[in-house]
Amino acid sequence: MIINGVSIDKTFAEAFPMKGTRIIITAQNLEWAMHSATAFTGFATSVIACGCEAAIERTLDPSETPDGRPGVACLIFAMGGKGLAKQVETRAGQCVLTSPTSALFSGIEGDDGAEIALGKNLRFFGDGYQISKMIDGKRYWRIPVMDGEFLTQENTGVVSSVGGGNFLILAESQPQALAACEAAVKAMKQLPNIIMPFPGGVVRSGSKVGSKYKALNASTNDAFCPTLKGQTKSELSPEVESVMEIVIDGLSKEDIDKAMRVGIQAACELGAENGIRRISAGNYGGKLGPFHFHLQEIMA
Amino acid sequence: MSALTLKLKTDLAQRVDCSPLTPDKLAGKDVADIAAMELVSGRLTLPVDQLFDISGDDVNDIRFENSSAKLDHIGHAMSQGRITIEGDVGAYLGQFMTGGNIEITGNTFIYTGCEMKGGQIKINGNAGDFVGAARSGYKNGMTGGIIIVTGNTGARTGDHMRRGMILIEGNAGEYCGSRMISGTIAVLGDVGKHLGYAMKRGTLLLTKMPQYGITANFNDCGSHTLAFLPLMFASFKKLDSQFANVEGFSRVRRYAGDVGGIGMGEILIKI
Repeated sequence: MIINGVSIDKTFAEAFPMKGTRIIITAQNLEWAMHSATAFTGFATSVIACGCEAAIERTLDPSETPDGRPGVACLIFAMGGKGLAKQVETRAGQCVLTSPTSALFSGIEGDDGAEIALGKNLRFFGDGYQISKMIDGKRYWRIPVMDGEFLTQENTGVVSSVGGGNFLILAESQPQALAACEAAVKAMKQLPNIIMPFPGGVVRSGSKVGSKYKALNASTNDAFCPTLKGQTKSELSPEVESVMEIVIDGLSKEDIDKAMRVGIQAACELGAENGIRRISAGNYGGKLGPFHFHLQEIMA
Repeated sequence: MSALTLKLKTDLAQRVDCSPLTPDKLAGKDVADIAAMELVSGRLTLPVDQLFDISGDDVNDIRFENSSAKLDHIGHAMSQGRITIEGDVGAYLGQFMTGGNIEITGNTFIYTGCEMKGGQIKINGNAGDFVGAARSGYKNGMTGGIIIVTGNTGARTGDHMRRGMILIEGNAGEYCGSRMISGTIAVLGDVGKHLGYAMKRGTLLLTKMPQYGITANFNDCGSHTLAFLPLMFASFKKLDSQFANVEGFSRVRRYAGDVGGIGMGEILIKI
């Protein structure tokens, strides 16, 4: 398959099941909601070392938030509900509770009502002065803080999600690969229910499973490293000088399907004339996870 | 199917315990069964059809017509369905109810919504003393649900109330929120003396300073913008009540008390 001179590999991206939730952070204005959301989703690029994968999904108008203030929706994913609960709680405690004028809400209903704590345990920061309020069947906590009162919903829903959807952009130069990634990420950011957790949505250090070093269970994807073309069993043709990856986590396989299609399409629109040569994907022979995203089927 | 209608035939000499006449307890019964059911009235037990003209057959939609202030325990422990009442009712309307809806076009006597756990009671009239309260000697009043009173309430509204909401469009009597453990009472009108007496926790939300002021048992915590209030007002929008039309506010004067006890309750007054 070739789109605008860009070859689409007959391969698939391999993804794995995760647990995810959406939280909504509001504040006096969007700037302060964004400060809090940026901190909440910081150091959350990969479950390998961060414990979760998180990013800002989108900004919200006051009409879309529970308290009628500007807000930001964040998605956060982890390998299990327990790990997710720990990440949400610690991040909410250090990055939202602490942030001036912020309030914290759940942005999703859980599968069959499954929930994890959001502000449930943060309430103890109130040292006995915290106040519970049941509004519309949901419990909220009012925690006295120095700027007034921190309002947080008690729980947030947990849904089965998919992590690790991806595609690789192979280009003739590093600036061209980055330009294609930027175009893809910009297009994908318009879609709901997905995030690209890496910096700017782009990964330059894609990994393979395993390493020559026993302590490591992942290492550089040498088959796609352009400087190793003569040293390893390379996947790259001579004209490819740079490869970048976009990793996508989503609330469902369909969400990732759609995001990959939109992202690949945006990259291909730059075309061969802008040095974009191939689109490929990271898979581990089916060993990593049950979700397979076949590039040619997605783009058909 | 049409609503099961129970029209009171005569003026009552004695009070009548109507607790068997709920959607839950009438489920599976036909009109003949219902007519033969016995209700306690004073020292007598009387069949339903001696007290009421019966029509309709939908036991999930029960209608009391020509109701009297001597009909007690209507909606007792109901968990679902709807009861509509034309006229006044006696004591313990909706006691122990866990779900469903009760609406009345008259006044209620004491202990409306006593120890209720869920559902909604709307009183298009006045309510007596001890709305949403605990029975004498019991520790917990209502623990869930909503009571809306379009008129006034008597004394001790929300006595020992633990959770849920009481929304009063008119005035509340003396000792409103007394011994309250938690929950919310909102009043659009005025409130009587001894507001929040022995209140432990919970919120009394007022739109204006009470005519008798705030007692010395509550300490002024200053003026604040509270983020939960817009959420609460938004939740009122779906109610058939004047509260749905109240312009939401978040700026309030906060008073904490009753400091004669643990002092964790609050009176919030719109500013």
